[in-house]
Amino acid sequence: MSEYHSAPMSRRTFFGSAAGLWAAIHAPGLWAQPAGTAVTGLVFSGGDVLAFGNRSLRSSDRGATWTTHPVPDGQPAAVTSHPARPGRLFVSIEGGGVEVSEDFGQSWRRQGQGLPDRTLDALANSAKNPDTLYAAIGGDGLWRSEDAGETWEFVMDRPFLSGSEQDVRTLASVDLASGMGGIWLYAGTSAGLQRVPDCFCRWQDVQPQGALDALVEGEKAPTVMPLPEGEPVNALVSCAASPERLYAALPSGVWASADGGVIWSKAAPFVATALAVDPSDADTLVAATPADLFHSRDGGQSWVVSAIL
Amino acid sequence: MNDFRAFPGCRKATGGALLAAICSGAVSGPSLAEEVTFLGETVPDATIRQGEVLYGEYCADCHGVNREGAPNWRRRLESGRMPAPPQDGTGHSFTHSDPDLFAMTKLGIDAVVPGYESDMPAFDGVLTDSDIVAILGFVKKHWPEDKGAIQAGLPGMAAFR
Repeated sequence: MSEYHSAPMSRRTFFGSAAGLWAAIHAPGLWAQPAGTAVTGLVFSGGDVLAFGNRSLRSSDRGATWTTHPVPDGQPAAVTSHPARPGRLFVSIEGGGVEVSEDFGQSWRRQGQGLPDRTLDALANSAKNPDTLYAAIGGDGLWRSEDAGETWEFVMDRPFLSGSEQDVRTLASVDLASGMGGIWLYAGTSAGLQRVPDCFCRWQDVQPQGALDALVEGEKAPTVMPLPEGEPVNALVSCAASPERLYAALPSGVWASADGGVIWSKAAPFVATALAVDPSDADTLVAATPADLFHSRDGGQSWVVSAIL
Repeated sequence: MNDFRAFPGCRKATGGALLAAICSGAVSGPSLAEEVTFLGETVPDATIRQGEVLYGEYCADCHGVNREGAPNWRRRLESGRMPAPPQDGTGHSFTHSDPDLFAMTKLGIDAVVPGYESDMPAFDGVLTDSDIVAILGFVKKHWPEDKGAIQAGLPGMAAFR
């Protein structure tokens, strides 16, 4: 089994694990996973993990091994799960629509009244009100459902970054007080990380205090170590039990934060297309690369290639 | 890095439109607050009635006669700024504390959110402090009770509890 470890490690360990990682990414046959799995969405649900892409997979051991699973009708684009209802999954479909399952994906039904006939690039459940769902549409903005996906309304334009509006690629509801009576919705965009209070008053950079606190003139500038500027954020997750623990997938690697996204450090150098964190354990992660699935039990310090049975 | 913009095109920008973040609200609907306070002080009914008149004169052009907000207020304008939001509890003004609402009205949104571009003007010199309190008291009076409770629980309202 191949493993990847992040620092600290010896040169020998590093080159050994790096070779294993390279092999994992570039020689998928070694790991018994058919090429082209192309996982675009990962999610924990009721202790299991579900993966969606060109085909669907399910793991009952937190991502160590996977088996093939029924697919929804259409090509999945994004996925989220209801934290209090094991087996309830929401999958957006390329071209438009949301498929909902109540049984871990054994069966699906179509939802999405009010949504335009376009792909939802990102989906997230509210960490505070799980029947509230958020979705992002490229070239458009954020949509919200307050009835578990049945009906939807537009709630906000896209973040304005680097001189123009940026598409939202991934969403994470983070159960940290916004200072405005609610919690935060974080968005990984095509040009970096943004967040908005769930009252949807304005997008902003991540900073240590509440939505307005950090803007008082004369206050000492807080220490921040943001994600690399300008990089797209392809996946973003927050642990329900430890909402300050965040993970993000960028072209430069997988990054981790233990303070709600103020200070980030690189946890792994590989390019992930999807991430999931165990809602009850922030150290348990699953990641997908274009060719493989990995899992970590130590907050991303080390990774093991998963097996597809 | 960020470019915050909001509240475009209030037509009475010099004498009207204020309260981009503040005014609006339906007179009927969900249960409303029996007593309204602002900055910890009870706002008398007579003041609220005065606020209603002032709202119609200075705020309604942008925020709507019934405080329903500008049409399509969640969509950014061509200018990049955001339209005037509702003040009837369906927007987000109840997520701002009394001091912030007062400051935004008197000094402009920029006073609370530096760098945020908005079409809402500062009303300093146009409205007196008492006028502003009256308008905001009127607006708060017509928030649904649950929205008022959210505002009362904000960190910035701790001094008034």
